[in-house]
Amino acid sequence: MIVAGKEASHMLRDKRQEYLTALILIGPFVLIYGALFVWPTIQMALLSFTKAPLIGPGDWVGWDNYVKILGHRLFHAAFWNTAYFVLLTVIPNTLVSLAIALAVNRLKGWQQGFVLACFFLPYILPVSVVFLTWNWIIDVQYGLVQYVVRLFNGGQPISLTRTIPLFMPSVAFVTIWWTLGFNVLLFIAGLRNISPEIYEAASLDSAGRWRQFSRITWPLIWPVTALVLTIQLIAQLKIFDQVYLFSIGGRQDATIVLVQYIYKLAFQQNKGGEAASAAMLLFGMIIILSVLQYQLLRARGQK
Amino acid sequence: MADIVLNEVSKSYGAVSVLEKVSMHIKSGEFIVFLGPSGCGKSTLLRMIAGLEAVNEGEIHIGDRRVDQLPPNQRGVAMVFQNYALYPHMTVRANMSFGLQNIGTDKAEITRRVEDAARMLEIVPLLERRPAQLSGGQRQRVAIGRAIVREPEAFLLDEPLSNLDAGLRVRTRVELAQLHNRIKATMIFVTHDQTEAMTLASRIVVMNNRRIEQIGTPMEVYSRPASRFVAAFVGSPSMNFLAVTAIADKGGRAAVTAGGSVIDTGIAFGALPGPEGLTLGVRPDALRVAADGSGSLTGKIDIVERLGDRTLVHVRLGDGSLVVAEDAGNSLLEPGMDVSLRPDGAATHIFGADGRAYHAG
Repeated sequence: MIVAGKEASHMLRDKRQEYLTALILIGPFVLIYGALFVWPTIQMALLSFTKAPLIGPGDWVGWDNYVKILGHRLFHAAFWNTAYFVLLTVIPNTLVSLAIALAVNRLKGWQQGFVLACFFLPYILPVSVVFLTWNWIIDVQYGLVQYVVRLFNGGQPISLTRTIPLFMPSVAFVTIWWTLGFNVLLFIAGLRNISPEIYEAASLDSAGRWRQFSRITWPLIWPVTALVLTIQLIAQLKIFDQVYLFSIGGRQDATIVLVQYIYKLAFQQNKGGEAASAAMLLFGMIIILSVLQYQLLRARGQK
Repeated sequence: MADIVLNEVSKSYGAVSVLEKVSMHIKSGEFIVFLGPSGCGKSTLLRMIAGLEAVNEGEIHIGDRRVDQLPPNQRGVAMVFQNYALYPHMTVRANMSFGLQNIGTDKAEITRRVEDAARMLEIVPLLERRPAQLSGGQRQRVAIGRAIVREPEAFLLDEPLSNLDAGLRVRTRVELAQLHNRIKATMIFVTHDQTEAMTLASRIVVMNNRRIEQIGTPMEVYSRPASRFVAAFVGSPSMNFLAVTAIADKGGRAAVTAGGSVIDTGIAFGALPGPEGLTLGVRPDALRVAADGSGSLTGKIDIVERLGDRTLVHVRLGDGSLVVAEDAGNSLLEPGMDVSLRPDGAATHIFGADGRAYHAG
């Protein structure tokens, strides 16, 4: 009994020590996260209920800012432009990434590494470099893409970023080119998790290529697909850089997206309160949509 | 059911040869075991029959069809993989039905076959579960069930028992033998475990180093091994080998000097090559302790292993070589005692320097 009691007190001390160690280890993160993320977020939420400029205090106006923004035509434009961009990127990017991953996965050894590196390379480029590169490629006077454009436009070049209906598809294309490397990587990891023996069993079970994909590969990488779709959704709802860069010098309001709208309110019109309200709306949208989507996709996977 | 014929089948990966001119004729309904150490090519050979590995040279026939260029599903074989390779996202029923659905089998027929197989393997309560919810032994049964429902010409089993714990392995072994008796199908079973091979096989194919060493019934392989490799690989405890220093003709039979003594064998003297590089082989069950001290080999006991029904005695002979001999279960021998051993001349073997075997009678 004495031995047992000693052991218990020893364990208790160990527990306390463990808590202390844990606290020391996570302390810096919690502090920085609290000071640089949680506190500003609370401040922003409060700001959204005041009629304040970007810097300095303002009067409490309750839900006025929200009511005003929800009736704002530019907010509606930004909302629909963002939705359109999400539609153009999230699912296409996921499908293209999966197709590339399936192809890359068939390669062996150094060839696989090389091709994978080629697809991943754009992902490490900063957005400014991506913008400049593609701005040259699609340039209306000497861009390479214009050779293709002319084929479809009776020999005439078109500016892809100054023609409003072509703007979003063009930026979406560049975005997919830029970001698919990471998704390919996730899919490859998922595909490597599937034992080759399962495909051997399937080939003995008379499953052709398509049956193997639809009945084995697709269900088995569904969790990765759900993850990729969710990451994409969050990233593309927050779209700003590419759209902003490609629209400089043009009619920015026609292609405005939500983050750009917030930027405009805050930094160009000095309406801190309204910008905060718009940011809160976007924040809410992202949370609701991504949680909803992830739950929905997970449920589908479990069926 | 059909015969399986391999005709000078070879396989290499680039310059590395893994199988050289392997030929055999497997009769319909036989239980054939490919036995050999890791890397001998036995699994590769099985996978070549299944169609999962390409055949570089030679022919494979199943029934009256040449199959070596056909895709796996057209060969009429079913395979049970070492790690079972069940589809993790499908229920047991779906796992077993998948192959039949792919060839457009009628729904009622699929249900009937799956349920028949499930009853035979006693996995009916598991049909709606997924592989992750099953134990190793249950997964094993599902893998066998998936093979059975396809009603194949032959079952190919790649070390199917190696992932089971010892007790379950013995039980599953017995059940596999019963299953074979019931469905009378041709089965090819790959293993490196000589006990599995001895207990299950109608014939054993002993393989080593890219080639077949011997094809024979378990007792042929045990009592008349074709080479020193087979003699050493089959049988537990392993056969004793003693270097031969001289041979003499004793009434047409060879009398060999080994382990410091002269041993009379039942092997015809005329058949043997010269004495250089010969080895005498005698199994522990043919090397008994002579209680009256009249044996031809003498030595000192090193270790005594009591197995209950018999006792294994490790003896160091006069020339320093170590042999394992057998004594009765109630043996009173202790380590350190001097002992006399009597080899059974009719059950001795002599191996040439090239590994070739010579037997008595």
